[in-house]
Amino acid sequence: MNEDEKFFAWLDGELGPDEAAAMEAKVAGDPALAQLADQHRALGATLKRAFDPIAEAASPERLQAALRPPAQVIDFAAARRSRSMPALAQWTAMAATLAIGVLVGTQVPRSSGGPVEVRDGRLYAAASLNRALDTELASAPTGDVRIGITYRDQAGEICRTYTAEGGSGLACRNGGRWQMKGMFAATEGQSGDYRMAAGMDPDLAALVDSTIAGAPFDEAQEKGARDKGWH
Amino acid sequence: MDQSSSFEDQLAGLLPRLRRFAHSLSRDASDADDLTQATIERALRSREQWQPGTRLDSWCYRIMRNLWIDTARSRSRKAAREAPEEEGLNVGEDPRPGIEAAVDLRRVMAAMERLPDEQREVVALILVEGFGYREVSEMLGLPIGTVSSRLVRGRTALLAMVGEA
Repeated sequence: MNEDEKFFAWLDGELGPDEAAAMEAKVAGDPALAQLADQHRALGATLKRAFDPIAEAASPERLQAALRPPAQVIDFAAARRSRSMPALAQWTAMAATLAIGVLVGTQVPRSSGGPVEVRDGRLYAAASLNRALDTELASAPTGDVRIGITYRDQAGEICRTYTAEGGSGLACRNGGRWQMKGMFAATEGQSGDYRMAAGMDPDLAALVDSTIAGAPFDEAQEKGARDKGWH
Repeated sequence: MDQSSSFEDQLAGLLPRLRRFAHSLSRDASDADDLTQATIERALRSREQWQPGTRLDSWCYRIMRNLWIDTARSRSRKAAREAPEEEGLNVGEDPRPGIEAAVDLRRVMAAMERLPDEQREVVALILVEGFGYREVSEMLGLPIGTVSSRLVRGRTALLAMVGEA
């Protein structure tokens, strides 16, 4: 530390007692240094006077809003969905699931017979889920798996959302199969939850929102796509 | 700080100080509140990265400082492309009532704005926020001698601009 730095460290109370005493004596014997000390103390006071009132003032509403709990995020997601995807509204009345998270990749067991399977590091629909995605129409549900919406994603592939007993999800065509893009678990005993009315799981809706190109298929488009093998 | 209160509550308690720090870094009040908002949002998103038992204030100051560096860089590139004729102070919504207080704040913010970034952050953290040299050295990941020498240069330049009154 040079003498300049030591002088300011003394001013800021950063020196140990011995060094501080030595600097104090030096300043006391040097009117120019004493004046500099006064000027810098005054500068410090000016800075505090300018900025401290900000810390004492009430913060703007938008900053307080940024701190509020995430319930708002759900409301926001629902609002965005209703603005951007009115076609979902009808379908969403059917779903009564509550999202708690996403299952991906390794979290899904490899055992056979489940609704999904892992192949070459990718997660695909299997068994009854695969059949439903291949054959079911939203307008004519027959099994335990109900199809939500069908649409083309930004890569041009056909994607479908579904709801089943355990939750809901999104699958898109990849290499002639249904590759899982997201699975969202339903929570038991939540039928009275206010989110029931909101229908589609907010995370699933966000996933659809971020991948969809154009509008969801209507009934005729959905049927036409099925008849052509989902190309 | 009360360990039992929620992360949001602790963050809310820090909000006034974070706002003050933002004002000492930014060129005007609306930039300062944008920076504060971005900091809160980043802190909430990254809350798992904060280790309970360590100081939440230092962690949040560091987030704000890093966000400010990022935006300051992109802003100075933008400013370099645009004509520099607008020399007047761009003051947004002033957080304080009273003309004198506002003049004080504008004058000091304008002077701070003219300091190099690396001096401004050290001056703000030590002379306005009241952190010690060592705390700032840890917060910014700088040797304490670097903190000390930047502080000398920054406050000397500031005194020449603001005067002692």
